[in-house]
Amino acid sequence: MKTIGMNTIGLTMGDPAGIGPEVICKALGALPADERKATVVIGDPLFMERARGLVRANFSFVPYGDTVPEGAVPLLAIDAPNRDAIVPGKLSADAGEAGCRCVKKAVEMALAGEIDVICTASLNKTAVRMAGYDLNGHAGLLALYTGVKKNYAVLACPQFAVIHVSTHVSLAQAVELCRTERILETIRVAQRHVLTTGVAKPRVAIAGLNPHAGEGGLYGTEDDDFVAPAVAAARAEGIDAHGPIPGDVVFQQAIDGKFEIVVAQFHDQGHIAAKLVGGHDTVNITAGLPILRTSVDHGTAFDIAWKGVADPSNMKAAIAMARRMKPVAG
Amino acid sequence: MTDRPAPLALTLGEPAGIGPDVALAAWLNRGAATPPFLLLGDPIFLQRRAKTLGLDVPIAVVAPSEASSAFSRFLPVVDLGLPVTTAPGRPDASSAPAAIAAIDRAVALTMAGEAAAVVTCPIAKHVLTAAGFPDPGHTEYLARLAARRTGKPATPVMMLWSPELAVVPVTIHIAIAAVPAALTTDLIVETGRLLDRDLRRRFGLAKPRIAVAGLDPHAGESGTIGTADRDVVTPAVTALVTEGIVARGPLPADTLFHDAARKTYDAALCMYHDQALIPIKMIAFDHAVNVTLGLPFVRTSPDHGTAFELAGTGRADPSSLIAALGLAGRLAAADAAAKGAGSAGTAG
Repeated sequence: MKTIGMNTIGLTMGDPAGIGPEVICKALGALPADERKATVVIGDPLFMERARGLVRANFSFVPYGDTVPEGAVPLLAIDAPNRDAIVPGKLSADAGEAGCRCVKKAVEMALAGEIDVICTASLNKTAVRMAGYDLNGHAGLLALYTGVKKNYAVLACPQFAVIHVSTHVSLAQAVELCRTERILETIRVAQRHVLTTGVAKPRVAIAGLNPHAGEGGLYGTEDDDFVAPAVAAARAEGIDAHGPIPGDVVFQQAIDGKFEIVVAQFHDQGHIAAKLVGGHDTVNITAGLPILRTSVDHGTAFDIAWKGVADPSNMKAAIAMARRMKPVAG
Repeated sequence: MTDRPAPLALTLGEPAGIGPDVALAAWLNRGAATPPFLLLGDPIFLQRRAKTLGLDVPIAVVAPSEASSAFSRFLPVVDLGLPVTTAPGRPDASSAPAAIAAIDRAVALTMAGEAAAVVTCPIAKHVLTAAGFPDPGHTEYLARLAARRTGKPATPVMMLWSPELAVVPVTIHIAIAAVPAALTTDLIVETGRLLDRDLRRRFGLAKPRIAVAGLDPHAGESGTIGTADRDVVTPAVTALVTEGIVARGPLPADTLFHDAARKTYDAALCMYHDQALIPIKMIAFDHAVNVTLGLPFVRTSPDHGTAFELAGTGRADPSSLIAALGLAGRLAAADAAAKGAGSAGTAG
């Protein structure tokens, strides 16, 4: 099944009540035949066929494992529970469960080496909880199925990638989490992530926490007390780390080509920059796992689901990113 | 009879920095959109810097009232009688009195109606502090001068403006750890009110739309990621709306600045430095203008520092100063019109 020299991507359907199946079919339709062949859709056959019809796709699905005719796409069937209860645009436990099953299968295949990278369509966090999973969406599922508790969200736009020392915590709490060991670990993960994208010598920038990176202690001491020592420790490990660089300067430097990745100190610092620059080309990557995973950076968009109007450009970008990632040793 | 408009009063700033370079370049690159300005500084020093830069700038020492008519042919300079000998890139204490005098004079001329607005080139804080400058920066000093002249305290508010985006940070140069405590409902309301007033009066917007950014990720997600957005920011937005101000928020900051989002508001009220500065610098890297709201006169400045390493090399980019001059002219005209309308109403 595996094509020599090209990543095989496992593409998970996402929540079938959302736009996942539609954007997958639109994105697949735009791929060249050899790339389609190296892409396995992991999803419910009924919903995937419906989506194929909805977008009047120019390809057909063939069962995973069968010989793939020119232009077709392999589909690994993971049946959804209670299909009839799953309604376009409607939040439900069944749709949530259907999406989760696909992720589980994809992780198993990635761990077994059957696929190289997972690329996921969006789940709805509430639907996942309704399905009985006491965890936070994809990040929680990936931790559950790989057994690796901590993972990191990387936002990647064409110009640079950004990873965060802390994400979904209040700004006050983010200040508490800005500590040397945590920053250093994030720098390590950042470097490893850039290596997976095929850059031999990653250059990592570390944003300062405070305005002007603290301006010599005038605007807070965390940059001197915690960020600078983390950067020094990373350099001592051989990582080409630079910082702390003021938040309002560092992203422009990355755009100018000085760094492949920026370690942001808190959620909005990195998200503002990446979403501003990348637009629909900004994708999500989960770093720190034993497998590779990219994802769209949007939600299930229930309000426009199954109307044929969803924009597949973000899914295309997530697939393109998955295609160029390679595992690195260690 | 309508006279020529009053010129803008441009201060030289730190003479060892790029202030003189960009001021000379701004005059050379003046266009139809550049309002006439007078430069407050030492004419001999300016001639010398022009020569260093290889720029052909004819300088005329003028009285403020002559500046606008001279502007098309000469760079009008108002001599402060304080010679400056500082070399490019090498700040020294001797220039501090001239730098301070230029600010004093610019404010005096503007408040007397002899100049339309104050535009400042960057100063070097450490040079001025050593010379006894009482404030942490330009803005605070300008507020002090304004208060001295009007007898009323002035609350300056910093706005960064570009044609694509205008942002106002509610807290600015403080540690992130200090932001949650510094951010009160009152402070947000007061800043929003000032912003609304200046957007109407000086930016000519009849019904300005203000987007208020949330403090925490996803604007706190209904209190699940921090409580400040629910307990502090939301009541401020409600209070502003109750006053008739078109304010929306708290809005997640990471989706507030892309093209489509920016079309929905005229200015974004941000909760801290990087939240405002990251997007404006990414969107308007070389042409953002610093505007001080809340003063009894219009004041703008370029959004860069002294850049000592570029002074005298000819590599300093005057775009931000040119944008600052253009905006100051526009804001001053609107301000004057508003004043005119106000006095017409009361003059009887």
